[in-house]
Amino acid sequence: MTNPMRTNSTRTNPTSRRRHDSESRGAELEKPAGWWSRHQVRLAPYVFVSPFFLLYGLFFVVPILVGLYLSGTEWAGLGTPEWVGLRNYQDLLGDRGFWIAVGNTAVYVLFTMCVVVPAALLIAQALNARGLRGRDMFRLAYFMPVVISPIVITLVFGLFFEREFGIVNGLLRAVFGFGGIDWLGDPLWAKVSVTVLVLWRWTGYLTIFFLAGLQNVPKELYEAAAIDGAGPVRRFIDVTLPALRPVTAFIAVTVLVNTAQIFDEPFLLTQGGPGESTLSVAMFIYRAGFQRQELGYAAAAGVLLFAVVFTLGLLANRVFGVGRDVR
Amino acid sequence: MTAVTDRPRRVTGGRLLLYGFLISLLLVFALPLLWALSSSFKSRSDIFSYPPQPLPAPAVLDNYRTLLAEQPFWSWFVTSTVVALLSTVLAVGLCSLAGFAFAKYRFRGKTILFNIMFSSLAVPFAVIVVPLFIMIAKARLTEPYFALVVPWIAPAFGIFMMRQFAEQAVPDALLDAARMDGCTEFGLFRRVVLPLLRPALGALGVWSFLNSYNSLIWPLIVISEPGDYTLPLGIQALFGATGRQYDLVLAGSVLAAVPSLLVFFLLRRQLLEGLAAGAVKS
Repeated sequence: MTNPMRTNSTRTNPTSRRRHDSESRGAELEKPAGWWSRHQVRLAPYVFVSPFFLLYGLFFVVPILVGLYLSGTEWAGLGTPEWVGLRNYQDLLGDRGFWIAVGNTAVYVLFTMCVVVPAALLIAQALNARGLRGRDMFRLAYFMPVVISPIVITLVFGLFFEREFGIVNGLLRAVFGFGGIDWLGDPLWAKVSVTVLVLWRWTGYLTIFFLAGLQNVPKELYEAAAIDGAGPVRRFIDVTLPALRPVTAFIAVTVLVNTAQIFDEPFLLTQGGPGESTLSVAMFIYRAGFQRQELGYAAAAGVLLFAVVFTLGLLANRVFGVGRDVR
Repeated sequence: MTAVTDRPRRVTGGRLLLYGFLISLLLVFALPLLWALSSSFKSRSDIFSYPPQPLPAPAVLDNYRTLLAEQPFWSWFVTSTVVALLSTVLAVGLCSLAGFAFAKYRFRGKTILFNIMFSSLAVPFAVIVVPLFIMIAKARLTEPYFALVVPWIAPAFGIFMMRQFAEQAVPDALLDAARMDGCTEFGLFRRVVLPLLRPALGALGVWSFLNSYNSLIWPLIVISEPGDYTLPLGIQALFGATGRQYDLVLAGSVLAAVPSLLVFFLLRRQLLEGLAAGAVKS
């Protein structure tokens, strides 16, 4: 180690085990100094991103265009679509079920933004306590709901919320002496059940992000604030919250965009019912397209959902300032 | 496991409250899963016994036996696992390739291409699902190894995550040195970049395995042959069938959870840290 600068960096990299491989490759490379090898550095990035854009074109852009076209037609999947112009959109605006779905989705979005996100922050704050034992175990356990298939989760919750035999009513009866709540059959309680499921399923997931953000806050900031005589609440408002801004922005935008498309929870737990009391917009589209064979109508609802989610995403980006650093 | 610098603390009221809070949360998060596990060993009538018993008495294996004997469980299992593994390998490859390009090359149109990629995150699945299904059905590509894999192997989230990671983890000097040694650009990616991205590859791998393995809506729409069912579809079918066969559904759910839990536990650290890194650095 007389002169560390002379150490060839390729030799220090972890792949040097495969020297044989690289030598044979190198030999094969030297013979044709053709067009490709002269231009490869310039062209390589395009080649590297092309698989994504190919798939993106085929499975994203084309479906969106097809959807735009379909939204102007009436079609049950057989024969040729019949062009009806904007009628699907007019019908949607006058469809009570659609507005109920929009209202329900708004409730889910508000609930996640106002309850799930703060709850995750609170839990992250608790997990970030100094000298906490078993932090990793807690973190792992809270994340678990995300790992399990939604069908399993909703099955279990369906049984928990069961009117006669369910554990939830059983507990209520044991503790408070009443427990006849029809969790899945009453329009209001069904909505509550779906939000409880959302809370259970996603809080721990968001906690991971907040915890990572908290652990990145420089300790000196807290010490400085403590010297200035700031109590825990002041420290939280003046140090923690500003430092968490980037993480909160990321979470807020993701949660907003994802909850606006909520499908699994109401679909599996209540099938959108009773009536349409838990129906979400994504479920509305599924129902129109795959259960009622109104493909044009479903496509029109899809276009509207797209417009709303995209606008929400842009607005949220503005408000929270995500991705400003992307060059 | 926590920081070495932490001094031992006295037991105070605050501490007790903190641990009480965290442990009761732990129970809340774990209870439904433990309950499913326990109930899968109960006889059909005991599942609904009131008051509910925490443990099966007596524990029986009938649910599992019936499930495996009377339902094509293994076929669902194989389809799900193969589909998930295929999607994962392809997604990890394609996302790291594109993420590397966005992180480490300067090229004309990069900003526009990146923004196009990034904005696709805001395209709701429900928007493309109807037309996409029509396309796949018209092209007669509803075979699970195509329909469940190919449309989802280049998720924008994965590219974004790999870009975030590659920016920090791959030193430019190393790339230049390898180029001086006559390494091709793809060789650079394979021999220099991929090994450096390993932690992020693990994270993306688990993420994409879980996504594919647990997905429900798309398989529900695109797969119509019971012989092609994935696990969630199979369980959903048992559930929807006459009389809601809770006993079989519970056993199936427990078995179905094994691969995802296994993958998660093997790579949990990478997954949690990889996800977090994407958010913190954004």
